Amino acid sequence: MTDYAIEAAGLRRTYRSRTGWLRPKVKEVEAVKGVSFTVAKGELFGLLGPNGAGKTTTIKMLNTLLIPTGGHARIFGKDVVAETREVRQRIGYVFGGDRGLYDRLSGLDNLRYFAELYGIPPREQKQRIGELLELVNLTGRERERVEGYSRGMRQRLHIARGLLHRPSVLFLDEPSIGVDPVAARDLRRTVADLAATGTTVLLTTHYMAEADELCDRIAVIAQGELKALGTPEELKHHADGRTVLEVEAYGLEDETFKDIKNLHGVREATLETQGAVQLLTVQSVSDVDVQPSVLARLGGIRLGRVAARQPTLEDAYVAIVAGDRS
Amino acid sequence: MRLIFVGGAIAYRALFNWTTPSMFIGTLLVGPVFQLLFFAYLGRQLGVANDGFYIVGNAVLAASALCLFGGTMAVSNERRYSTLSNVLLSPRSRTLIFLGRALPYAGNGLLVATFTLVVGKFLLNMSVPGTAWFGLILTLAAASLSAAFFGLVLGSIGLRFRDVWLISNSMVAVMILLSGTTVPRENLPAALRAIGDFLPLTHAAAAARELAGGETLANVLPGLGLEVAIGAGYAIIAAVLLKIFEYESRRTASLDTL
Repeated sequence: MTDYAIEAAGLRRTYRSRTGWLRPKVKEVEAVKGVSFTVAKGELFGLLGPNGAGKTTTIKMLNTLLIPTGGHARIFGKDVVAETREVRQRIGYVFGGDRGLYDRLSGLDNLRYFAELYGIPPREQKQRIGELLELVNLTGRERERVEGYSRGMRQRLHIARGLLHRPSVLFLDEPSIGVDPVAARDLRRTVADLAATGTTVLLTTHYMAEADELCDRIAVIAQGELKALGTPEELKHHADGRTVLEVEAYGLEDETFKDIKNLHGVREATLETQGAVQLLTVQSVSDVDVQPSVLARLGGIRLGRVAARQPTLEDAYVAIVAGDRS
Repeated sequence: MRLIFVGGAIAYRALFNWTTPSMFIGTLLVGPVFQLLFFAYLGRQLGVANDGFYIVGNAVLAASALCLFGGTMAVSNERRYSTLSNVLLSPRSRTLIFLGRALPYAGNGLLVATFTLVVGKFLLNMSVPGTAWFGLILTLAAASLSAAFFGLVLGSIGLRFRDVWLISNSMVAVMILLSGTTVPRENLPAALRAIGDFLPLTHAAAAARELAGGETLANVLPGLGLEVAIGAGYAIIAAVLLKIFEYESRRTASLDTL
């Protein structure tokens, strides 16, 4: 009997696409390039990475929806290619966004249908569905058609669907995408409760605070390769020896941003637009104070808050991913 | 058994687009009656066959569009709702999941075919022996079931190819031409007649016409048996294709393409 809930060893996946009729061109993209990791039973494991990094492809290989082009993976010792039925009995899969449900049916009928697909006996179905509706706070709304549900309600229904058959491993692929802050907080609580009761959870997310709060360990994947693996505290060491300067700016232009990135002592810089405000985040080596030179470059631009702080998991993530790009 | 019947019924409500009263009445009840009248008057004009030929043939044919498109929707609409991944993650038998989905369409097809036959009979004053009705209903049921399984074959192709509606649309026209429901098979070239032999509805249409003409059920049983065998054949083909195309979709990552 294996000690691991999930084992991935040298997982690879290449996509082939073909365009054109007369002179067809075949293009190959290596989405995942030999990813290896293990997840212990009951662990809450995060898989982080930028868009197109290979997170969803990795999850789909682990949950049997995609056949790897190389390497192998096991769920509780069962091979994801050779023993698909055994794997599927043990896993649940929830993906983000508002699709993946039958819009014309009520929430209750969606759950009833998936309960049939997992062979849950009729007597148990009613009780289980009731429990899950309670868990995801949809009691009282279950007889309404899903087409009238908000995105948050749909996401909660997805979670209930994924848990119907009491899976030992739950794959959550960006479950909080597009969900409002209150719903996202409830979702985090639900995920934490699941892990606390022994369910192994593999979570992908773009929200670092979510990963930091929830995950026992995190793997960072970029360009199809595993770049870092460890606890959130361990990953934060990737930003050791750095300080972070945050500046709120209005009207920062690309040229100025490029200049700042090239300043002496600057390791990484990101610019994020939040409504009318641009949030400039500059990571620099600790022994160089870049604040005066950054502010000098921003001369003439209207500024808001300026603050220096210690690196967070997000800064470490940026350091890992950007380090890969450089 | 629950997966076949309960699962099939829920999937029908989830995936069949024509269940609203306006769509159901317009597309499934009124449409086939007008099609029947069109062919009956065309037949009269051209002197090809009598009204009875078209009433029975079009009643059998009435089940085809519903069963063909329904069978296609039963699989292809999973892509539309992005639910295909969730369904395929079920550990249960694909054969039970998807063959169960054909049954509500077959039942619906029987209802539509019977309605078309009864309305056609009254509108065009066709006489049908009272003793023939049981056999006729049985024949229409066999036709609907084989057409639904044929539709499921088309739907299974939708697991692998996104443009399956092109095939379904063409197949409806093929059925009109080759199944003997609207064009007398003796007027067709031998090669086309041979293709018709392997299509759903062909043998049911012939059996239904014999029943309406006064033949006993016992005498049309061989034809009815052939229709059932063809339906079973398509059910097996659908089950095999679903297995192959599911594997291929996982291999080529085409599950989520719309």
